[in-house]
Amino acid sequence: MEMDSNTDCSMPISNFGNLTRPDGSTIYSQGKSTVIAGVYGPIDVKPQKMLIDRGSVETFFRPKSGLPGVGDRLYETIIRNICETALVSTLYPRSGIQVVIQEMQSGGELISCSVNAACLALLDSGIDMKFLIAAATCCLDQEGYLIVDPTELQQEKAKATFVFVFESSEGRIVASHTTGTFKLEQYEQALDLCKKGSAKIFEYYRKVINGKYNKK
Amino acid sequence: MVVNVGDVVLPGECLPEPRSNKGVVILGPGLRRSEDDSKGLTVSRAGVLCHKAPNMYWVEGHAKRYVPCKGDLVVGVVAKKSGDQFKIDIGSAEHASLSAFSFEGATKKQKPDLQVGDVVYAKLVTAHREMEPELVCVNKYFKAANLGPLSNQGFLLNLDSRLIVRLLDVQHPLLAVLAKTCAYEIAIGMNGKVFVMGRTSKDTMHVAEALLAAQHHDNVTT
Amino acid sequence: MAKQYKSLHPIKYFRDYLAHDIRPDGRELTKYRPVIINANSVSTAEGSAIAKVGKTTVICGIKAELCQPKTETPTQGFLIPNLELPPLCSSKFKPGPPSDQAQVATKVIADIIENSGCINLQDLCISTEKLAWCLYADLVCLDHDGSIIDACLLALFTALKTVSLPKVEYNAELDSKNLQMDERTPFKLYNVPVSTTFAILDETVLMIDPTAEEENLCTGVVTIVIKDDELCSVLKPGGSPITEEKLVDCIKQSMERAKLLGKLIDTATQETNDEIDK
Repeated sequence: MEMDSNTDCSMPISNFGNLTRPDGSTIYSQGKSTVIAGVYGPIDVKPQKMLIDRGSVETFFRPKSGLPGVGDRLYETIIRNICETALVSTLYPRSGIQVVIQEMQSGGELISCSVNAACLALLDSGIDMKFLIAAATCCLDQEGYLIVDPTELQQEKAKATFVFVFESSEGRIVASHTTGTFKLEQYEQALDLCKKGSAKIFEYYRKVINGKYNKK
Repeated sequence: MVVNVGDVVLPGECLPEPRSNKGVVILGPGLRRSEDDSKGLTVSRAGVLCHKAPNMYWVEGHAKRYVPCKGDLVVGVVAKKSGDQFKIDIGSAEHASLSAFSFEGATKKQKPDLQVGDVVYAKLVTAHREMEPELVCVNKYFKAANLGPLSNQGFLLNLDSRLIVRLLDVQHPLLAVLAKTCAYEIAIGMNGKVFVMGRTSKDTMHVAEALLAAQHHDNVTT
Repeated sequence: MAKQYKSLHPIKYFRDYLAHDIRPDGRELTKYRPVIINANSVSTAEGSAIAKVGKTTVICGIKAELCQPKTETPTQGFLIPNLELPPLCSSKFKPGPPSDQAQVATKVIADIIENSGCINLQDLCISTEKLAWCLYADLVCLDHDGSIIDACLLALFTALKTVSLPKVEYNAELDSKNLQMDERTPFKLYNVPVSTTFAILDETVLMIDPTAEEENLCTGVVTIVIKDDELCSVLKPGGSPITEEKLVDCIKQSMERAKLLGKLIDTATQETNDEIDK
């Protein structure tokens, strides 16, 4: 029960170094969502946040308009944990790494978009990472079909949505976030589909990094 | 994913059998030993994998943020002054400390007169990630050897680390070509900060403009 | 000796236990802590409960207020959960505005309520656009010893099961309300979601129902919420990566536990309801 819709429009687009102040930055667009991500690090941290054995990772998620709310806090925490897992934070003791994500346009799968943007910005900054991370979204519509890379409308109408984050070295699950109700089989199917989706993102990372280093 | 020397590599990829010299492999930035030994080395930064015979490996990427390294010559700005200690901003995570006594001929009575905002050219003597970096403005014979406070007349600019490395190459023509048109002094710090002072302010701006332009054309020269 | 060893090498101490497939508190990896639920603990609230998962204690009180529905959703009332993690419950929390952890947990709980469809907000509406019930579910953690979401959900849903709302006679023309305190209708819950938390260590070891100490030493947590025979949330907010098989294994374990917890909530509320009937 798979349905592959709108795969073409969801091929991501990104650009490095649009911002001059951060150590790594990217503007990343996937489907109809666009975010801009900046990474500062390693930088000085406040004494109360300093960790003596590893770097402390902070994430800020800024919505399109207004101040970040309780919902954004959850995203921030998820993205922070994901980044912390992906980074080799033990190489940066007593310092901090800041990941700032600014939502530019939201059209479904915003979490995936933010996670992927954060990963690209981290790659750009040259901070040591254990592996790459890629997020993929998929949703279950009322008839029980799974839709990969849903649009905002499809997400709103969906019975359930799934966001998975995978790592690049062995393809294990780093994060999972779901809404709505679903059966175990549906979860496993969604996991499978998203894994395929994340493989495409990893390919895309390779493409952009190749492009970046072969330019010279 | 298994990679080879010369490839563009991404974090998480492995180099299974690095060439070693009597079992020793020297790792540069961007490489780590894998947790499980059978996989050899793991890449931790994006860039081009480089190898120097017999056993040295590193990843050439570009990081904007300077990570202090022992022995580097850097240009820094005095950020704070407390007693006999200066805190110098060298663009790293933490300010580096510079003692007022580590200048040529400095004594308890005769200390260098540095103010916040002044620029110094110094050498890193300790750079460890667990500790604050430490600078000195003397060589091992306690002579200044070009290190020390820099003039207030010059201009400080931030350049890309890749351009810095190339400027420090004796064979790179840019500085020599510039010297033909105007007279200038330059202090190039490994941290990306470059101090320029020409005979006139026009000369200074001239050199600064040329260096900034070189940064944007960095793909032509290599 | 063991005490010194523990404080000097907490992780190594912990791993020595795990090497023998047992945890410092004497449980096996797949054993959960005893759960105690008490319903109707606070007499001044419309509904209340205390849940204890091991040492973790959460008290939930539900207060009902009359209010006007939002214009976007004129036929719906409100259920607003709020988790408080006071300095009393753990040294990790400082007095002042809600910590990030409390905000995140509150959001997770609100999401679970919405996802599971356990309540129908339209049941809370008395008159379209004019009057509705607003239920404030205040959760206070008294002792934080891991698996906080599990304890919160148990307390919250037990409390919701004990809620009964007085009948309201509302006259739209005159805008007059008349509350009949004696005629109470029980609040309807369509299903009861229950969650199970797992801690991950070294990307391979999975521990069900971790204590605070275990959560600190571990490198990731997974929270799985089950309602009836469906899943309503699989939340793994980052942390150590795990394989698909491990994750599915977690889901199966939590399904087993969900059945027991569901029964426990039923029994707890049944007893109190019986007492009230007497």
